Amino acid sequence: MLITCPYCGPRDVIEFTYQGDGNRERPQPASQDIDAWNAYVYDRLNPAGDHNEIWQHSGGCRAHVRVVRNTLTHDISSTAFAHGGHKSAARHRTEAKS
Amino acid sequence: MSPRRTETGGRVDRLRTIRFSFDGASYTGHAGDTLASALLANGVTLFGRSFKYHRPRGVLTAGVEEPNALVTVLRGEVREPNIPATMVEIYDGLTAVSQNRFPSLAWDVSAVNQLGGKLLSAGFYYKTFMGPVIGPLKGTRFWMFCEHFIRRAAGLGRAGTAADTSRYERMNAFCDVLVVGSGPAGLMAAKAAADQGARVILTELEPRFGGSANWSGETIDGMPAADWAARAAGQLEGNDNVRLLPRTTVWGYYDGNTLAALERVTDHKESPARGEPRHRYWAIRARTVVLATGSFERPLVFPGNDRPGVMLAHAAERYANEYGVLPGERIALFTNNDSAYRSAQALKQAGAAIVAIIDVRAELSDEMRRLATEAEAEILSGHAVIATEGGKALNGLKVQRFDMLSGALTGDARSIHADCLLISGGWSPTIHLASQAGARAEWDASRQAFLPPKPTQRWVGAGAFTGSFSTAEAIAEGRAAGLAAAGSPGTPAALPDVEAAPGEPDPAPVFEIKAKGKSFVDFQHDVTAEDVRLAHREGFVSVEHLKRYTTLGMATDQGKSSNVPGLAIMAEALGKPIPEVGTTRFRPPYTAVSIGSLAAERFGDVKPERLTPMHDWHIANGARMYSAGLWYRPMIYGLAGETVEQAYVREAKATRDSAGIVDVSTLGKIAVQGPDAAELLDRVYTNMFSTLAVGKARYGLMLREDGLAFDDGTTWRLGEQDFLMTTTTANAGKVMQHLEYFLDVIWPELKVTVTSVTDEWAGAAIGGPKARAILAACVTGSAVDNATLPFMGIVYGQISGVPVMICRLSFSGEMAFEVYSGAGYGTHVWEALIAAGKPFGLVTYGLEALGTMRIEKGHVTGAEIDGRTTARDLHLDWMLSKKKPFIGSAMMDREGLIAPDRLQLVGLVSLDNRPLNGGAHIVEELDEANPHNSIGHITACCYSPALGKHIALALVKGGKARHGTRAFVSDPLRNRFGPIEIVSNHFYDPDGSRMHG
Amino acid sequence: MVERQLPVRLSPLEPEYHPGSHGNFEQGVDVILSETRPGSILQLAAWPGEEKRLMSAIYKVAGLALPDGAGGGVANGVRAAFGFAPGKFTVVDEAEGLAAAFCGVVTPDVGTVTDLSHGRTAIRIAGPKAEWVLAKFFAIDFALTAFPVGAGRSTTHHDVFAQIQRSGGDQFDIYVFRSFARSFWKALCHASEEVGYEVQ
Repeated sequence: MLITCPYCGPRDVIEFTYQGDGNRERPQPASQDIDAWNAYVYDRLNPAGDHNEIWQHSGGCRAHVRVVRNTLTHDISSTAFAHGGHKSAARHRTEAKS
Repeated sequence: MSPRRTETGGRVDRLRTIRFSFDGASYTGHAGDTLASALLANGVTLFGRSFKYHRPRGVLTAGVEEPNALVTVLRGEVREPNIPATMVEIYDGLTAVSQNRFPSLAWDVSAVNQLGGKLLSAGFYYKTFMGPVIGPLKGTRFWMFCEHFIRRAAGLGRAGTAADTSRYERMNAFCDVLVVGSGPAGLMAAKAAADQGARVILTELEPRFGGSANWSGETIDGMPAADWAARAAGQLEGNDNVRLLPRTTVWGYYDGNTLAALERVTDHKESPARGEPRHRYWAIRARTVVLATGSFERPLVFPGNDRPGVMLAHAAERYANEYGVLPGERIALFTNNDSAYRSAQALKQAGAAIVAIIDVRAELSDEMRRLATEAEAEILSGHAVIATEGGKALNGLKVQRFDMLSGALTGDARSIHADCLLISGGWSPTIHLASQAGARAEWDASRQAFLPPKPTQRWVGAGAFTGSFSTAEAIAEGRAAGLAAAGSPGTPAALPDVEAAPGEPDPAPVFEIKAKGKSFVDFQHDVTAEDVRLAHREGFVSVEHLKRYTTLGMATDQGKSSNVPGLAIMAEALGKPIPEVGTTRFRPPYTAVSIGSLAAERFGDVKPERLTPMHDWHIANGARMYSAGLWYRPMIYGLAGETVEQAYVREAKATRDSAGIVDVSTLGKIAVQGPDAAELLDRVYTNMFSTLAVGKARYGLMLREDGLAFDDGTTWRLGEQDFLMTTTTANAGKVMQHLEYFLDVIWPELKVTVTSVTDEWAGAAIGGPKARAILAACVTGSAVDNATLPFMGIVYGQISGVPVMICRLSFSGEMAFEVYSGAGYGTHVWEALIAAGKPFGLVTYGLEALGTMRIEKGHVTGAEIDGRTTARDLHLDWMLSKKKPFIGSAMMDREGLIAPDRLQLVGLVSLDNRPLNGGAHIVEELDEANPHNSIGHITACCYSPALGKHIALALVKGGKARHGTRAFVSDPLRNRFGPIEIVSNHFYDPDGSRMHG
Repeated sequence: MVERQLPVRLSPLEPEYHPGSHGNFEQGVDVILSETRPGSILQLAAWPGEEKRLMSAIYKVAGLALPDGAGGGVANGVRAAFGFAPGKFTVVDEAEGLAAAFCGVVTPDVGTVTDLSHGRTAIRIAGPKAEWVLAKFFAIDFALTAFPVGAGRSTTHHDVFAQIQRSGGDQFDIYVFRSFARSFWKALCHASEEVGYEVQ
């Protein structure tokens, strides 16, 4: 499987570490809502189809990548930096290629 | 002499004679021969014994799909079993032996197995050996008794025990177009794509490029097809953008157009060149793949179809045309399609007598009749072969009138004298890679074959792979596929013209002739047509179950020749059409792959390892090393004659008496820098770091999100926005990822950079009553007295001219200091410390003494922070800040995590003065015969020189409340039972007076 | 400064560093391996949005004009710089002390400077078979069209993290963690035997 890192381009899956369900929302740090914490820590979507996942390019630039992957076919329909601030660098890459 | 070698013809180099041995006998062949062709040329017909019945077997095919002629190749002490003789290129000195025979190939004692055919029918093992024990000769216990004998009798070649010293390598490749297969379709595709400027890789599993062109006898562009192919391959080789990979089998098609291939680099050579790998595992990332993998001829299923001398028609044609070898002198053919007529013609031209062509079809085209007549063959249309005769070689066959629609055999059987029977049951496209790539194959009723599915990945098919069996079609499709793969419409161009024998591609829908006797479907696993029907009668209706129950298609050839006939027989038994029965999905690998090629450089001398800056010093000074993850660390520095225990006891005692020094460079070190560095640390540690003064260190604890303990270590504040975090050796990578995740995904607003600086710093921890005096003797540029360097203080100075950073902290419980310097100076500083310590009795100590002293102090490590314990369980609740939230703070107080009966950290003292074992259980009542009711387990243990006792750390239910009580250690695995006392984990100097000095 | 002369830094490759020709070199060596031992190896990181300011700081201090784009880099034989991650750059100098030069220039509102001069080991592979040998280790495309001169890449060989800069048409500089350097060097030599190699 290849994952297109927004910084490094397409790389083999062995360079990446799966960092879990990308749909989780972490409660505010001081939140005492134990149900919200429980949902964040333990509840995972397990869709048969497109899934929003976080992968770290741990064997490359180490950025976290938001990946939409079809769990039935392994087709990856989109990848983007998880860190919103890096969006400009993603545009960099596109500019460099065109 | 070579009795079966033709006078002329073939593409072997007749001027070069190669000597080799098979089963101890010496033979000669020519350069370009395979072991199969060379042995056939020498008149050898018997190649091996079958899997279950030990029936004599010859060679069925001429290629990678060979199910029968499996051999073991010997190189020195190293043996490689189960290689098809059709894929072994001969070289001077090649030594091969046949398999699955005892004591010899010609005379095999297990051949009696075939007399009791029923005994070994489908499901024999399940029925006889699995399930409940009923009587002494049934069930699992009986299996355990019989297994040794059965394993010896059944099976294939024997694996060797000698270490394989060959070199294996992995290669990463990228291309625009990968062309798999170099027949006319593949060659045209590669050329078309290369001409468009695409980066092309062309793989061919055989040594010669050209595929069927090497033996078809056809004419392309006015020249023999083989010459055309050689010229095309030569032209490709001259292109910078083309890589040709002969002897390379693409065996796996994975997601993202990643393909795996095995290149057999030196198997055909007497010895490899220096540094040359035996096999290369190619991981190929291709933008587009052209599958030009051709097709396999299928056998027909009839009694005695496995006798040596029975061969696929095209294989015989190939032996004659490509190798100049005749598989027989009096040849009969049995077919359901036109392609065998071309084979008959080729063998006639090569010098054999074609005695008869038996065709299941009653009606034959005029063209086929003409070909048969030219071959001077008797035509027996509407007939079938019902038996073969002979022992270890064929000497005749029986034919009978056959009605294709009803399958009925009528009239009297007639004998035909022949020493070779060629069979053709139609052709199956080699769709394995397309199937691996994801989609289900589709049955084509006219071709009577599974055709490749619609692509779900980026591939294009061409030639026989698509069911287009003629060379003219292959050439046209190949060029189109090459252009499509290169993403170019191309320009119209004249295609090479082809002169070929006539023939229709569609066979008659006949797979089996039902007559008395064993009719083999899967030759390699000895699965008969009757086995398939038996499986059906016993209720196996799914093709997946049929496969597993009968083991059809599960041998090393993966059913390349048997899958479709097997399915057809199953479909008939079920009374369903073939497409409704379905087919199994092909999975990697396409052919056998050497484990060595997969392990490659990960294995042996060149596997990755991590060394500290002082590694060579440790080795030179008697350290016995052991591996901790990828790191190598000193275990002990043993003196002559010392045991490991004596050494660590001496080292620990000397440290507590005077001073000791240990290499702590492996500790994970992370630079945490930026305006929000302190804020990040407050969030990830349970305790406060924003209040830490510059030039001070603090012990910190991290929890996971679920509230369980994660890692501990000290973090040093080097500047207002500059921290040096240390982690345990084992968790360095995990902690780094933890920080990166939160900074990148959860808190992107924090301005913090985290960088692994583990390798930047060499670290030496020096501890003991004399430690400060030793530092005072060698550190310049800073005092090290209590006022300048208090507990958890940091100073900067020099040792022997090298800048160092010194932090006063202790793991051993003694007055101790960690001295950090640039890694390139690590040994320099280490040696200076050793020299300074000499007058003070400084010893070097290893991990064993380190562990001993930490157990004495009751400090936790990964054995206690095991992913199940909380801060409270480890008595670290004093570190849980109530002033701020931190990772894990919301979840750590859940009911189950604060229950009083949780496993808690305690100390144990052995009351019988015998050593304790890690992992041993703790019980309240000892019951050696029936150990039960564990209340906990030992996490770490040692002999404590400070206490003069065997002690341990343990996690025990409600442990704190049990201090001062007695219990027992129960370790049935190592037969260690005995009394212990449960005490506080702080064995030694509990108020820390030594450390604080 | 009155500081004493520092001792020579020990190379992690020392016992395995054997100058001369090795492997299958009778027909000539196809790669040359060396440890370049730069005095300074730095990691510079910019906060999101501050990349341009950091790049101009690199130009100001090191005189290296970095091209835009992911992995963009430049090498002049004495100094080199390349991007290896979003907003992050490796800057290398033959001389020691480059970290101090950046300290006042890369201010906290721009980003951070991390000195890795001891922590990373620089290994150079050059020659017509350099791409072939590196392809044995790294699953990245080394073809000149995909990996232009000056550019940098972050990748991994098993557990050995590596930053690679193409410092010439057939020359690559590989930065690996010091603790892994010896084992990586041994593997690199091993893999180069096939084509014949010289250690300089």
